Amino acid sequence: MLGIPDPQILIGYALSLGFALASAVYGLVNWNKGEGE
Amino acid sequence: MAVDTLILAAVTVIYLAVTMAVGYLGYRQTKHAEDYMVAGRRMNPVILALSYGATFISTSAIVGFGGMAANYGMGLIWLTVFNIGAGILIAFLVFGKKTREIGKRLGAVTFPDLMGKRFGSGFMQYASAALIMTGMPLYTAAILIGGARFLETALALPYVTALLIFALITAVYVVIGGLIAVMYTDALQGALMLVGMTLLLVFTYMATGGVVHAHQALTEMAPLVPPVLAGLGHTGWTSMPALGSVIWYTVVTTLVLGVGIGVLAQPQLAVRFMTAKDSRTLNRAVLVGGPFILMMTGVAFTVGAVSNVYFYEHTGKIASAAVAGGNVDLIIPTFIDLAMPPWFVVVFMLTLLAAAMSTLASLFHAMGTAIGYDIWKHLKEQKPSLAANRVGIVVMILVSVALALALPGSIIARATAMFMGLCASAFLPAFAYGMYAKEPSAAAAKASLLAGAAAWFLWTAFVHKTESSVMGLSHLLFRTPALLGFPWNVIDPLIIALPLALAALVVVLRRERRVPAA
Repeated sequence: MLGIPDPQILIGYALSLGFALASAVYGLVNWNKGEGE
Repeated sequence: MAVDTLILAAVTVIYLAVTMAVGYLGYRQTKHAEDYMVAGRRMNPVILALSYGATFISTSAIVGFGGMAANYGMGLIWLTVFNIGAGILIAFLVFGKKTREIGKRLGAVTFPDLMGKRFGSGFMQYASAALIMTGMPLYTAAILIGGARFLETALALPYVTALLIFALITAVYVVIGGLIAVMYTDALQGALMLVGMTLLLVFTYMATGGVVHAHQALTEMAPLVPPVLAGLGHTGWTSMPALGSVIWYTVVTTLVLGVGIGVLAQPQLAVRFMTAKDSRTLNRAVLVGGPFILMMTGVAFTVGAVSNVYFYEHTGKIASAAVAGGNVDLIIPTFIDLAMPPWFVVVFMLTLLAAAMSTLASLFHAMGTAIGYDIWKHLKEQKPSLAANRVGIVVMILVSVALALALPGSIIARATAMFMGLCASAFLPAFAYGMYAKEPSAAAAKASLLAGAAAWFLWTAFVHKTESSVMGLSHLLFRTPALLGFPWNVIDPLIIALPLALAALVVVLRRERRVPAA
């Protein structure tokens, strides 16, 4: 896939993208949550 | 590709002038010691996230680890997984909120101060400060080398001159402006890094025929792996090294786990959580932090590996063979110089300057406050002093520059991994325990810190061959470069020291429960 034969490398790329996306979603969902000043 | 030196110089001067102006803005807002140490605990989320990211990512990640990816291949992408998973998600959500809350409640202004106050132990504060002062110059020197190497290549400056200019410029705004100036300039530099790395990814794939073509070509280069590396487990640049081989242990235990876990207990990053105004600020910062780190390390490791295709198509050599002396620290700078349009060389030079300056500034600040606040202020029992912190920063800058001049080539990524491994081994179990225990035990924290630091040092000096053979202690005492053979001599010290530090914490806690204090 995408010229990369080793699934271990592809999983690494998928997890990197997934975690970055999860960070963005978490930040948006919790934008106004948590203790404010 | 030649760059007009005049244009390069003009753009650099403009960039430095803007940086200084932003630093001055921070200086104007610095009225008290708390402003200088923890930015007045009122930082906004975007500046906090960009500052954290720009501090996290240095020339070491881009030049050093990018060069390692050119050497070992795309397996380094697993470090990006840890960088985001541990370095952002766990760091902000598990440790960040507690660090901010406890730091504010106790009035802590540095990482050693937090450790000392949390455990009610002067020893924890002094020992943490001492570890910062001894271990951090190694990492600082690695970053100085990364920035100076690029200036050397792009501006044709003598290496030593590049190094000195670089250190001096950063020193000015850190010494004068403290953490507000550091974080404001970090944010500016972080934004610049984001633009530079995005363009680098696009231009790299354009220069190598597109995403799939570049990867396919890289896959087909597997037979070009030098026999020495193939014998150590290198299987090509688009596949992981052979399981259990020397290179597998290096990539997985040192580069991926050592740095990936090490980031969780770095003093210069932990102190940023104490600058947040509230926990909402940390939630918002995560939004920026994750994608930012992806665009930094994910791009650097991908470009590093793919650069082999460009080097092979244009010089007939793989990346490590195409640079002087096989120094992997020169691969990324050389690739940029050869493959990118001249104007992008200028942009990328600023990206690297920004990456290096943002991390350097934070390290200078962390080391200087360790001397000026944690050691000096407490020994003399004086009020927090801006002057003492400034003197501390100047002293540690001089130490770091001297070390940078003394270190050998191909050292950037390894020195970074060493520092992060030491931080995780010495601090992580005690720090995590301190943030979550209701009544934390000072004895358990001390045992963990001492066991982690001692185990890390002994394994580094006597077993992990890459370092022990250079340090020479093992040879001096036992007439052998490493006391244990394969695979032990290629397993990173962190893998041994971190569990031992955790075990020491647990053992002392269990003993205290059996024998309650009178």
